[in-house]
Amino acid sequence: MGFAAFSSNHQSLYRLDPRTKILLTVLVGIVMMGGSIHGPSAIPRALLALAPFGLLLAERKYRQGLLYLFVLLLSVGVESYLVTRTQGALNLILVIVSSLFTRFVPGLMMGYYLVSTTRISELIAALEKMHMPRQIVIPFAVMMRFFPTVIEENNAVREAMRMRGLHLSGGNVSAYLEYMLIPMMMCTVKIGEELSAAALTRGLGRPGARTSLCDIKLRGLDALLITISLLAFALWIVL
Amino acid sequence: MINLQNVTFTYENADTASGLSDVSLCIPDGQAILLCGESGCGKTTLTRLINGLIPHYYAGKLSGEVLVQGEAVSNLALHQLAQTVGSVFQNPRSQFFNVDTTSELAFACENMGLPPAEIRERIQNTAQAIHLHALLDRDIFALSGGQKQKIACGSVSTLEPLIYVLDEPSSNLDHASIRDLRAMIAHWKAQGRTVVIAEHRLHYLYGIVDRVCYLQDGRLTHDMAADDFFSLSAEARQRMGLRTLSIEALLEQGVPSPTLPGLAPYRLDRFDFAYPHCPKALNIPLLHLPAESIVAITGLNGAGKTTFARCLCGLEKRCAGVICRDGTCQRCRDRNRSCFMVMQDINHQLFTESVLDEVLLSMDQEDVPAAEQILDSLDLLMVKDAHPMSLSGGQKQRVAIATAIASNRTLIVLDEPTSGLDYRHMQQVASLLQSLAKKGRTLLVITHDPELIVSCCTHVMPMEGGRATDPYPLDKAGLARMLSFFTAIGT
Repeated sequence: MGFAAFSSNHQSLYRLDPRTKILLTVLVGIVMMGGSIHGPSAIPRALLALAPFGLLLAERKYRQGLLYLFVLLLSVGVESYLVTRTQGALNLILVIVSSLFTRFVPGLMMGYYLVSTTRISELIAALEKMHMPRQIVIPFAVMMRFFPTVIEENNAVREAMRMRGLHLSGGNVSAYLEYMLIPMMMCTVKIGEELSAAALTRGLGRPGARTSLCDIKLRGLDALLITISLLAFALWIVL
Repeated sequence: MINLQNVTFTYENADTASGLSDVSLCIPDGQAILLCGESGCGKTTLTRLINGLIPHYYAGKLSGEVLVQGEAVSNLALHQLAQTVGSVFQNPRSQFFNVDTTSELAFACENMGLPPAEIRERIQNTAQAIHLHALLDRDIFALSGGQKQKIACGSVSTLEPLIYVLDEPSSNLDHASIRDLRAMIAHWKAQGRTVVIAEHRLHYLYGIVDRVCYLQDGRLTHDMAADDFFSLSAEARQRMGLRTLSIEALLEQGVPSPTLPGLAPYRLDRFDFAYPHCPKALNIPLLHLPAESIVAITGLNGAGKTTFARCLCGLEKRCAGVICRDGTCQRCRDRNRSCFMVMQDINHQLFTESVLDEVLLSMDQEDVPAAEQILDSLDLLMVKDAHPMSLSGGQKQRVAIATAIASNRTLIVLDEPTSGLDYRHMQQVASLLQSLAKKGRTLLVITHDPELIVSCCTHVMPMEGGRATDPYPLDKAGLARMLSFFTAIGT
C-alpha cells in the first residue's frame, strides 16, 4: 500500500504547509515542460527538478528519493550525450523516452510527494484558506480518499482473477481489462455511494464555516521555499 | 423521542432494498431497541428513516410522518439531523472519510464548526470512554474491520448525539470486536442516549436492549420486551428466521454426530509465511486435513486464518508449503489448479455478463450442459442469463460457489461465507456445503459464526498466533470445546 503511508503519523523533520506543496507541484510541473537542458534556462530547471529529491529525503523516503534521482540523472544523461551520438530508430526511441522522462517525472514525483505527505483534513483546511469554493474542495478531498480505495479494490480483483485462472498470458488484452474493470467499477461505485451517505450523516455539506484541527500556517521554511521557487520560475520565464 | 406514524415507504428502484408499509413506532428517550427480521424485512429502511437518509439521500415514495425530538425529519436538512442522530453502518470500509483515525474522529465536529480546542477535548473524552487511545493517529486503511468499526463508533460519539442508529454493525466483526461493540452500546445507554440497532446477530445484545421489534415484509409484526424475546424457544425463533439468541443454546441444539469417511487425509508440510518486515504470520510445520469433510477454521482477527488460506490456494508465492495426498504432492504454483478460494467480498469475483458465462469461464473446456447442471443444483438455473451484479447477495455467493465447482478443484476455501446473512440464508449455505462434501470436495470455512459451524461443519481447526493443530472432530466434546472458544471472550 504505497499511498497508505501518507495518512499515518509519519516522522518528518518539519511540516510544510499544503499550500507550499501545491505551489511547488504546479511550478515544477510547468517549468519542466518547457525549456532546454542547455543554456541559461537549464539553471532554474535543474533547481526545480531537484526539489522533489530534497523533499522526499526530508520525509525519510530515501528509497523513492534516490530512485527518482537515478531516473532523472539517467534521462538527462541520455538526452544530453547519447541522443547526439546515435542514429535511426534507436535515436528516435532515446529522444522520445528521455525527453518524456525529463519533462514528466519531476512533476509526477511532486504529485506523489504532495499526496503521500498531506492528510486529507490538512488539504481541506489549506484549500479553504485559499478561499477555494466548496464545489472544488469536496471533490478534491474525495479524490484523495479514493486513491487508496482504488488500489485496495484493484488488488482484491486481481487476486480473484488469479484464483479463477484469468491471466494476461492468454493474449486477449481487451477481455482481461474488461474482467478487471467491471468488478472494480461496481465496487468503487458502491463504496462511493455508502461513503457519501456516511459523510452526509456526519454533517458534511453543512453551509457555513468549517473548523479544522490542523494547524495550517505558513512558516519560515515555507516562505523560503516559495521565494526560491518563484525566483526560479521568474528566471525561467525571463531567460 | 422518535415517533413514526403510519409510515409507508417504497424505494424508487425497488430492487435494492425493500420498503415499509404502515409502520407506527414510538421510541422514548434512553431506550435501547433492537430491530430484527429476515433479510429484506425493512429494518435497514427503518434506520434510514430515523437518520434522515430517507428521504434526503435515498429516493422513493414516503407517506406518514417521522418525528425526531418532535421535529419532522423531512423538514430538517441532513446536517441539522447530524447533531441529534449519529449513524454507524454495516461496512467498516466505506464509512470513513479521512485516511487517518484522529482526523476521522474530528471530522463531524469540524463539519459542525466547533472550535479546535473543544474538538481536541471531545476526542480525548471519547478515546477515554471507549478505549481508543491505542488507535489514535493511525492509518485507517491498515486497521482491521473491528478496529475500523470502533473508529466509526468513536467518530459518531464525539458529536454527542442524543440518538445512535446502528445498521448491522457486527456483520464483519470477530467475537472479540463484538464484545467491544457491546461495551460501546452499553456506554451510550449509560449516558442516557437512545440506541436503535438493526441486526442479524442477536446473542451479543442480550441484557443490553430493552425492547425488540420484529419486522416481516415491511410490517412491524411483533413489539416485545427484551426479556420475553430472549426467552423465545429455539423453534419459535427459527420459524421467525432469526439467528440464535445465545451461543450456549447451540450446545443444547447439538450436532448430528459426523460420519467420518475414514479417507486418507491431506498432509500439509512447512506452511510458514511472513509478510515483509513482520514477524511470522503463519507457522505450521505439519498438519493433517481430513478429506471430504467440512473444516471450520476459527480464531480471532490476526490469528493467521486468511494467510493460511492464501498460502493453501497458492496466492502467496513465497510460501514453501507442500500438500500431499495419495502419493502426489503439490507445491505452491501447482495449487492454482486444485484449490479455490471464495473470498469474502463477492463483488470482486464476478466478471462476466451472465451467470452462465461466469460458470463457463471457470471450465477448462466450455461445456454448456454441464454448466447448466451445476446451476440447477444451486437453484440458479432460472437466472442463468441475468447479469451477476444484478443478483441478490445470496445468489451472488452461490454463483461464486458455482464457479468453484465448475473449476473442478477439490479443495475449496470459503472466507466468511455467512457474514450478514439471516437464518434462512445461513442454512442455505450450510446445506450447500454439505452437498459439496458429499460429492467429494474438501471444504475449509473461515468463520466467526458458531451457528454455521454447528449447522454443517464436521471438524474445527482453531488458529492462534499463526499456529494450528490438527482439526478436532465436531462431536459432542468437540462442540463444547468449539462453543467455549466463542463464549470465553464473547459476553
